[in-house]
Amino acid sequence: MKIDLAIIGQGAVSPAGVRIEALLHGEPVPVLVAAHSRPDQPWPVLRVDLKNPAFARWQKEPRLRRASAISFYLVEAAEQALANSSAAERAETGLIVVFSAGCLAYSRRFFEGIITQGQRAASPALFPETVFNSPVSHVAAVLGLNGAAYALVGDEAAWVAGIKTASVWLRQGRVKQVLVLGAEEFDPIVLDAYRAARWLRCQNGSHGFLTSEGAAGVLLRQAQSEDGLVITHARDGLIYRTKKEAGAAAEKLFHAVDPTLTCQHSAQRNWFGSIERRVTHDHPIISSHGSSYLGEAFTASAAWNTLRAIPYLNEKTSRILLPVWGLNHEVGSLELEKRK
Amino acid sequence: MSRRIVVTGLGAVTPLGKNLSDSWAALIAGRDAAAPLELFDTSGYRCHQAACATLPRLPDQSRKAADRLSRASRLALPAAREALAEAGLLNQEGKTLLATLPLCVSTTAGAMAFGEDFLRGVLAHRRSHLFRQAARYLPQHQVVDLQQCCGFAGPSVIIANACASGANAIGHAADLIEVGDADCVLAGGFEALTELVFGGFDCLQATSTDRCRPFDLNRSGLLLGEAAAFLVLETEDHALRRGAKPICALTGYGHGTDFFHLTQPQPEGAELVDVMRRATAQAGIAPEQIGYVNAHGTATPVNDGTEAKAYSIFFGESLGQVRISSTKAAIGHTLGAAGSIEALFAIRALTTGELPPQLNLQTPIPEIAPALVGLNEAHQDLPHVMSVNLGFGGSNAALIFSKYEN
Repeated sequence: MKIDLAIIGQGAVSPAGVRIEALLHGEPVPVLVAAHSRPDQPWPVLRVDLKNPAFARWQKEPRLRRASAISFYLVEAAEQALANSSAAERAETGLIVVFSAGCLAYSRRFFEGIITQGQRAASPALFPETVFNSPVSHVAAVLGLNGAAYALVGDEAAWVAGIKTASVWLRQGRVKQVLVLGAEEFDPIVLDAYRAARWLRCQNGSHGFLTSEGAAGVLLRQAQSEDGLVITHARDGLIYRTKKEAGAAAEKLFHAVDPTLTCQHSAQRNWFGSIERRVTHDHPIISSHGSSYLGEAFTASAAWNTLRAIPYLNEKTSRILLPVWGLNHEVGSLELEKRK
Repeated sequence: MSRRIVVTGLGAVTPLGKNLSDSWAALIAGRDAAAPLELFDTSGYRCHQAACATLPRLPDQSRKAADRLSRASRLALPAAREALAEAGLLNQEGKTLLATLPLCVSTTAGAMAFGEDFLRGVLAHRRSHLFRQAARYLPQHQVVDLQQCCGFAGPSVIIANACASGANAIGHAADLIEVGDADCVLAGGFEALTELVFGGFDCLQATSTDRCRPFDLNRSGLLLGEAAAFLVLETEDHALRRGAKPICALTGYGHGTDFFHLTQPQPEGAELVDVMRRATAQAGIAPEQIGYVNAHGTATPVNDGTEAKAYSIFFGESLGQVRISSTKAAIGHTLGAAGSIEALFAIRALTTGELPPQLNLQTPIPEIAPALVGLNEAHQDLPHVMSVNLGFGGSNAALIFSKYEN
């Protein structure tokens, strides 16, 4: 689907640090974390450092006093993207946040409390923060974003759905600009899930992906003549349940794509890597090998990959196709263009 | 709206019935579905009741295949099929006639029961069957279930704006059509009762141990429920070209965020009033032209007082003419499905002139008392109806449906 959205702001929080510079050039260091069920068996994990001074300004926000890490990642990434927006512009800003697992840490803690301590131990302080759109509400309230707000759910491909939704709102004139963010937080329970899925293959992290967390986002407006950086196409809706269907969906995604279009590899160490290499073999490739490996954080990864494509647009090519490999059910893509 | 958007199919599974017609008949008859909750042990909770749905059979699925589906999908599939069938979009095998059909859905918990079982399994050091539970609790798997079982593909959006999500899903479908990104969309919501959510509302003391009494001075909390509801939205041209009969038109959608508090609306209802005004502005109508409002009406002390104030501001002197009821007293609060099923009830009021009564009312909130629907009210000719929802995080949404006139 053709769209015409200018990227006018960017923000990122990742295990490599806070801000875009860290996303592009930082070197995250894995820490060892035990799976919930296997305290004796730690796995390398890429974590965001919540002690980073950048988060200090949000610690005093009354709205965030009970919030979990994901809300802090989001509000910091959002503020970076909105740095050049006035209060009036913020008041006319729509907000779309895409999640895969959302507020996982509090959800796990809340229900584990019920299981292990009994139903009467259920925590009223935790439950409201388990709801998908609670972090969205926090971001809107803390940063004064009065426009429409949606929480969207899915795998990495929900990032594409978020961009398309922004395009709808902007064409309707519901808002002047839209902030689209992806965010995930780590909880040891995901290691149990990934172990069950056999995604964690090697304890030193040399192959198989590393679990990660963070947030990132782009501030978008309907492209104008002076805008230099534009998302021109968004494609999603190719779903799968089995690996075979995933391969077929990937083939379909690339079926009608101009083979001269430069493609940025984004699968990195996840199981889509071999599929990605197969379907993109005719394309000029930009590999993210020059950048550090940030691990897998689902919707946040999709947002990071988009932001990491931008410098290549400035240096090497005027158009990039960015596949968005959803690890759970869907594949999609974005096309970015440098116009000036 | 720049393109005329019509509704051509409706479908629902609710605690009152396995399809929309049965649910509507029971609703109009004044039945409620509150009953002791037996899906999981509630002995340690304050509240022990909920409104559970009876799962319809899935004739095209083997028993084994049906057993593998989540409860959420077991609710969503028959509701979606009913809507597609009424719209004339299903073939004899129960597959969708359109190969590509955009989907807008809402839920708050997806198949959370799988997630709960996964955590129980991890804590019990169980090793088997964990993968399926971990992989399929996420809402996108109910989308895959819908698309694969009904035989269609296309882009999907899953909106999780808490209790307003169902209205947002329908509104977003209308937005997609309005800007020309789609001609026909399947939209709706689903929610299955799960212990995590039940325990959450229970610990907030938001659930009632008494009857659920929306808009009553003695209301003491909500009744949780489960449901799925879908509708088919399309452009009038698309519907007429393929010979479908429009049921009504979707004419207005307003949504917004109330910053006041994570779990409480702004006490004067100002944000909700703004959302309703956005919806009527898009519909090009005045508040007094609305004949019936399916209100959010959770029966929690905070929500209903604010909502009543908002209606009294929004309708002003015409509040005495509009008819208002919350159907949550009958089917419970179905969270991510609430906005969708309540929109369908509003549409049924529009098309039949029958009004869902405000059940369990003893001492109505004075501000809204004249507007609340009594039992067995006379049929009314309603030109426009509105469905209103408020959610955690301050998500507010209003939808307006209007009589279809060719």
